[in-house]
Amino acid sequence: MMTDRVARLKDRFLDAKPTITTERLVLATEGYKKYAGDETPIFRAEVFAHVLENLEVRIRDDELIVGAMSKAIREAEIFPEYQSTEWFLEEMDFFETRERDKLYISDEDKKIAVKILDEYWRGKSLFDEVGDLLDDDAQYALDHDIISLGVRRAPSTETVPNYKKLLQIGLNGYIKECQDKLDSTIGDTKEKQEQILFWKACIIACKGVITLATRYADRAAEMAEAEKDEKRKAELLRISENCRNVPANQPRNFYEALQAIWFIHLAFHIEVPAHACSFGRFDQIVYPYMEKDKEANTFDKDECQEILECFFIKCNELVKIRDHWTATAFSGFPMWAILMIGGQDIHGNDATNELSYMCLTAGEDTKTAQPVLAMRVHQGTPQDLMDQATKMVQAGMATPGFFNDDVAIPIVKLKGGTDEEALDWNIVGCTQPHPGGGCSDGTPDAGYVNLAKVLELVLHNGVDPATGRQIGLKTGDPADFTCKEDIMAACKEQIEYLYQMIIKNHKIVQCAHMLKLPVIFASLTMDGCIENGKSVQEGGTKYNSNGLFATGPANVADSLVAIENLIFKEKAMTLPEFVEILDNNYEGNEILRQKVLNTYPKVGNDDEYVDNIEYEILTYCVDATQPYKDARGGNFDFTLMSQTMNVVQGAVVGATPDGRLAGEPVNDNASPMMGRDVSGPTATVNSIGRLGQTRFKDGALFNLRFDPRGIEGEKGLETIQNVIKTYFKNGGQHIQVNVVNDDTLRDAQAHPERHRGLLVRVAGYMAYFTELDEVVQDAIISRTAHLSPELGCGGCGCGGTM
Amino acid sequence: MDNNNKETALVGNIQKFSTEDGPGIRTTVFLKGCPLKCRWCHNPEMIDPGQQLIQAPSKCIKCGSCIKNCPQHCIEAVDGEIHIDRAKCDMCLECANGCYAKAINAVAKPMTVEEIMKIVAQDYDFYGDNGGMTLSGGEMLMHGDFAEKLIEAAAEKGINVCLDTSGFAAEELVMRLASKPNVTNILYDMKCIDDEKHKEYTGVSNERILSNLRKLAAVPELNAKIQMRMPLIKGVNDSDEIIEKTIEFYKENGLTKVTLLEYHTLGVGKSRNIGEVPHEFESPGEERLLSIKESMEKEGIEVELVGSLNEPASE
Repeated sequence: MMTDRVARLKDRFLDAKPTITTERLVLATEGYKKYAGDETPIFRAEVFAHVLENLEVRIRDDELIVGAMSKAIREAEIFPEYQSTEWFLEEMDFFETRERDKLYISDEDKKIAVKILDEYWRGKSLFDEVGDLLDDDAQYALDHDIISLGVRRAPSTETVPNYKKLLQIGLNGYIKECQDKLDSTIGDTKEKQEQILFWKACIIACKGVITLATRYADRAAEMAEAEKDEKRKAELLRISENCRNVPANQPRNFYEALQAIWFIHLAFHIEVPAHACSFGRFDQIVYPYMEKDKEANTFDKDECQEILECFFIKCNELVKIRDHWTATAFSGFPMWAILMIGGQDIHGNDATNELSYMCLTAGEDTKTAQPVLAMRVHQGTPQDLMDQATKMVQAGMATPGFFNDDVAIPIVKLKGGTDEEALDWNIVGCTQPHPGGGCSDGTPDAGYVNLAKVLELVLHNGVDPATGRQIGLKTGDPADFTCKEDIMAACKEQIEYLYQMIIKNHKIVQCAHMLKLPVIFASLTMDGCIENGKSVQEGGTKYNSNGLFATGPANVADSLVAIENLIFKEKAMTLPEFVEILDNNYEGNEILRQKVLNTYPKVGNDDEYVDNIEYEILTYCVDATQPYKDARGGNFDFTLMSQTMNVVQGAVVGATPDGRLAGEPVNDNASPMMGRDVSGPTATVNSIGRLGQTRFKDGALFNLRFDPRGIEGEKGLETIQNVIKTYFKNGGQHIQVNVVNDDTLRDAQAHPERHRGLLVRVAGYMAYFTELDEVVQDAIISRTAHLSPELGCGGCGCGGTM
Repeated sequence: MDNNNKETALVGNIQKFSTEDGPGIRTTVFLKGCPLKCRWCHNPEMIDPGQQLIQAPSKCIKCGSCIKNCPQHCIEAVDGEIHIDRAKCDMCLECANGCYAKAINAVAKPMTVEEIMKIVAQDYDFYGDNGGMTLSGGEMLMHGDFAEKLIEAAAEKGINVCLDTSGFAAEELVMRLASKPNVTNILYDMKCIDDEKHKEYTGVSNERILSNLRKLAAVPELNAKIQMRMPLIKGVNDSDEIIEKTIEFYKENGLTKVTLLEYHTLGVGKSRNIGEVPHEFESPGEERLLSIKESMEKEGIEVELVGSLNEPASE
């Protein structure tokens, strides 16, 4: 049960509209002018510190955890050094009316933004700069959503720092580390000079964050002075004490530990337009501070629970501005602030503690999108924890997501992690397993290949039928293909070609980040950067990697089976004839479309033949990505994940041989194509388990949605757990379970105000259903609702078809 | 029992992830044909032991293939809707085979024990300690020998079986199948304890059903497998008198586990789609169901309610 305070904080958050604000833009622009001419790392740190020293301090009513990015909650700041001024000015009038992730802006802020951007920032963003470096083909492929190329609008961020150490030694400890390095290093080479600059920059950045906290301490003390209410006065004094101590020094208790983590997390978002900054293995990191309270006999569980829930609500304050394209590909204001619980310790014993349960309770109470709860599951996971987690899923909370230690641990070892780092594995990004301990750089989104488009290119000898341009390789005239294998070989070539296109251009983007926009504060919190005297962007962490993604593999597999049967076995027509029908979007050929849709096997129904074709397509993706190195010498990791990119990339692909019409979304993430997994969730789970997920160094994201009627009560708990366990036993890495029914979702579409708290997991992150646009909403609704009476009630065999 | 001693049986569906047909996660095999003709049957297409056509009008794309493909010329379009003259139809299935939109389908497919078990075994990992295969229908006891072979094949694979039956069959068969060691659960229907009404609404007397039930219940290890199931239909079998008599019967025979199934109308559309005129009934309503539940619980019977009473998705 939420306390009244938490309920009020929650209401205030729900009432807040995402809005664009200019406070940071004004301050950063001042900083940019003031510090221009300094060496890059110093300059970056000075600008950051300038913002921290001048950002208005705001302690809101009822707050126990303090520290705000902007004057109101859910206000997004502008980062013109990353985000192009051109699109800002172009889209400025449309943020409020666009379909996805609407953002409001006051006339006054709009005026300020336009003036500053226009006068100072034109052409200066990273996006502008790297845009000029890309070749024609890459630019075309990007403009037409054949590929995507990430980290041009923001740094990779995805910071999962070493929170254990950050709490243990405080930022003062980091300052000392840097000072020691400076004291013992002579800058007699270029490389050493660069290290010296980095360490100096780190000290500036740490001091900036400490200054911000101190300003909060001062403000809280002032407010306490003026406060009439004795209870609030005492709270403000406590807040003041907390902020005086952390994040500069080690927290003295649980409360301070959360305040410290919040300041650090906030700082990441003030420094750059960050996302996917995770809290790591939160229950492991923070529990020692709860033990301190217990040792001091000051532990009050209810009080800790309330502070934890204040912290949870606080996490939802942060939003970021995304351009129209990005907001479509990643809709629902995702921030991917993952908070992980459970799993094993570095000795292989179960690591669950009291705080693990309290985190679930906080999620259950607050029902907010952030932080995203992630639960590690292994053989020794306590039944009580599993029960509490599945009860949340059963109640339709769509959280936590479940992660399989048995798959993640070998994946981390494949990444080069030590045994200890593997047992301590952590999510970096969204669902990607990384070596634990804060030593692994995020998984920058290097790019997505549109696999449905790959097949379309193959069927047109490398020409994009949308425009007639030769954009892919000439892999042969479709008239000459004589079997499915010919087409697959051509797909393999196109896949390699497109990933190479991404890799080449991603390296260009990476170099621009290294030279122009190293991120100082986030880097220093990650192991390896101070030691190496280098930012994350330059390869400072122990492990460096990038994510490469793919959309639509299930559609490709379904399509290949359709072609094999229709063209090569039945010889119903020639392949060029079929291609012509596809180019005309099956117009006048609905019978044929129904035939390919309903006759041939589809991924997701436990049909080994078609599932294995998807496996093979994914092999091409793995082989085209994981052997290559980035500009820092880091790795490329393949991941089977689309987020809502399946909507964006599906929109540009014509009709496909599997019966999908032109422009329709392709399958999401690792899931089968929507509406085609008609054999129940067990069959779907078996199919997805067959994809060989331990090969994907960044794992696979799998959504499964149950109708609540099918999994009610005690038996329902057992059912959900059984499905999760079997999926994991069969090699699944991650599963998230949505339990909602179509009626609720349709009602939420029609009456968003009635369901403003309705959470739906959209591909690895949670979103408020009512904040998604209609196409995405429809896509969720059309994912087969297993067990819903419309599709066959429990046990009656409705439809009776075989 | 005319489906006996055949290599294949007509299977209406093999439904995976059945969570309402016995404990745990199950795969339910629906065998076609039933000696009863319950007017409220929600699987009306499973009653006739022979093959049938079932339509799905909402899927029809009005392409006319079925009309063209029918060698008997017994399909025509009337006001844009497909009508089958079922008296003339000889079940050649040309229409269904050519209907890619799946708007006309064969209700069932002849399958061998091996074919069925291959599909059932696919979900082995999900069954755990409690789940397994459920044999349903129609009336699975109409396929006595075939059902026995399925049960034995399941035993070989270490899969438990649940029988979902009306109990209308020869005593010997009922006892034989119920006694199989891997038959762990029996869902036994109690349609109506009043024989006159039973005859009126199901077409057969309940004498045999009740006598088989008594025999089963008298053997403790078989009694333990029994879960009674009562479809409840307003004005048919929900009166105080019937409920009291039923409770009495349960008490006499030591039957302690009952599932109440609320009547629903999902079978009505299917009746229409196999060319029959559906009977429509009403649910006794939530209040009545709860009072029935209460009166049974008072007598020490363990009762669960299944139906549309469930709460909508929580937020």
